[in-house]
Amino acid sequence: MNPALSVIIFSTFSGLGYGLFIWLTANISMGTPPTNDQSVISIVLTFVLVSIGLISSTFHLGHPERAWRAFSQWRTSWLSREGIISILTYGPMVFIGCNIYFNLGFDVLIKPMAILGLIGSIITVFTTSMIYASLKAIPAWHNKWVVIGYQAYAISSGGVAYIMIDGWQYYKVVIALLLFALLTKIVTWVHIDKHRGQYKREDALGLPDFGKASPFEPAHSQKNYLQREMGYDLCPKRRILMRWIALGCGFILPAVLLYIGFPLAPIITLICLGGMMAERWLFFAEAEHVVRLYYDRDSV
Amino acid sequence: MTCLPEKTDKKLGLLIDLNICVGCHACAVSCKEWNTSGITGPLEDLKPYGDDPSGVWYNRVHSYEFKKEDEIDRTVYFPKSCLHCEDAPCVTVCPTGASLKRAEDGIVLVNPDVCIGCKLCSWACPYGAREYDTTGGVMQKCTLCVDKIYDETISEERRVPSCVSTCPAGARHFGDFADPESNVSQLAAENDARDLFPEMETKPVNQYLPPRKREHHESKKLDHKVSNVKDALIKWAKLDFTG
Repeated sequence: MNPALSVIIFSTFSGLGYGLFIWLTANISMGTPPTNDQSVISIVLTFVLVSIGLISSTFHLGHPERAWRAFSQWRTSWLSREGIISILTYGPMVFIGCNIYFNLGFDVLIKPMAILGLIGSIITVFTTSMIYASLKAIPAWHNKWVVIGYQAYAISSGGVAYIMIDGWQYYKVVIALLLFALLTKIVTWVHIDKHRGQYKREDALGLPDFGKASPFEPAHSQKNYLQREMGYDLCPKRRILMRWIALGCGFILPAVLLYIGFPLAPIITLICLGGMMAERWLFFAEAEHVVRLYYDRDSV
Repeated sequence: MTCLPEKTDKKLGLLIDLNICVGCHACAVSCKEWNTSGITGPLEDLKPYGDDPSGVWYNRVHSYEFKKEDEIDRTVYFPKSCLHCEDAPCVTVCPTGASLKRAEDGIVLVNPDVCIGCKLCSWACPYGAREYDTTGGVMQKCTLCVDKIYDETISEERRVPSCVSTCPAGARHFGDFADPESNVSQLAAENDARDLFPEMETKPVNQYLPPRKREHHESKKLDHKVSNVKDALIKWAKLDFTG
């Protein structure tokens, strides 16, 4: 699949944002009273990251002015569900932020709101992952590791960002989560590498009993929309390089820097975000769509 | 509405006979011509006369060589358009309701006034049946010529999709697969009709008749003869008269 920047920014930024909000709301839910400055900074950063993500996701639409229509088909569409729940999660976010910053005095409601925000964030990340995991035509996405992975990357990268804002008290938990996320990523790659090639061109043509099929005359002389959108060719060397960048910057380096107590936490967060973007770039670039069987792939 | 109908009254679709198709592209050209002037048109043409022409087609004619041991290789021309699946994944993923499957006849359509151009439906379709219109910012696809098959101002025999009426070889048939007495149902039943990509579990309505099985296995003999002649010629050229 073509790794479009708008979609990569959407899912990494909103993943980091919701991950950060998960940490803040989990903390409040467990009884830590929100301290003024840090909580406000966390919420503002969450708001900014999530908003950048959502706005960025509208850049690849043909009709961004109609984006509101995407809230209507929650009964069947994961994209629609994601849109709705992500907007709803703004509620607790804005409430908690305003209550602390403007001292509104609704302190009794902070804890229930935090629980709602926590649930909303987790469901938003889940629905995002299901947009991809529900697509049978893209085998690299159609598996449970995508769902587990999105949650793990959001919470681990959000944890790094939370350390940056609210101090180091949970750094061991974050390291453990980074290692868990790392493991998830490796298992995902093992899974997709193992299942690569499961569908054959002859299956796509409905003619598995006629021998080996190969394209003869192309259906059209130049690349069409399908080949531009779904025909991304990832060079094997770049795959290896990007996998190491994703592992190194997304998980290993942040974990090591946290372990040695590297003083500049914002730098760790940026490295982690960079790694997440490499991971998400690969998520698209590595995923092959079965429509390629009608074109240049013998198997997908 | 993106909920799929539990059952459609009719299942309108195409039956394509791969024995008969000669890959002339008449169906694709006729489709483009009819639909560019129709309800979902125009079908964009970008740089039509340049080095890199590109545009939207609802129907494209692929071709494949099949190689099987002990058989002469065969060429199969393979027209492909929307299969109007019963379990159409392109419909259920649509966040806006622009994608729909009609309960009355099973035709899958895009409402261009509602589509936001998110392209998710084209990702969901295993067949590459949907193409993005960059000019209009919406997704486009085969309508089964819905503005022709119900047009009461034309004679009844002309009320078939444009690709079917134009096919000079008679490889394309149009009808109701829900009716076991229909021409397409009967042809399908008699001829080992195939679903494309059954592994994707989309239950396509359109069916393909496979090329017929080879009964004679002449290829080895033929190759043998050719190589004998070739070997003999090379021997003569080398003035090698052994054996």
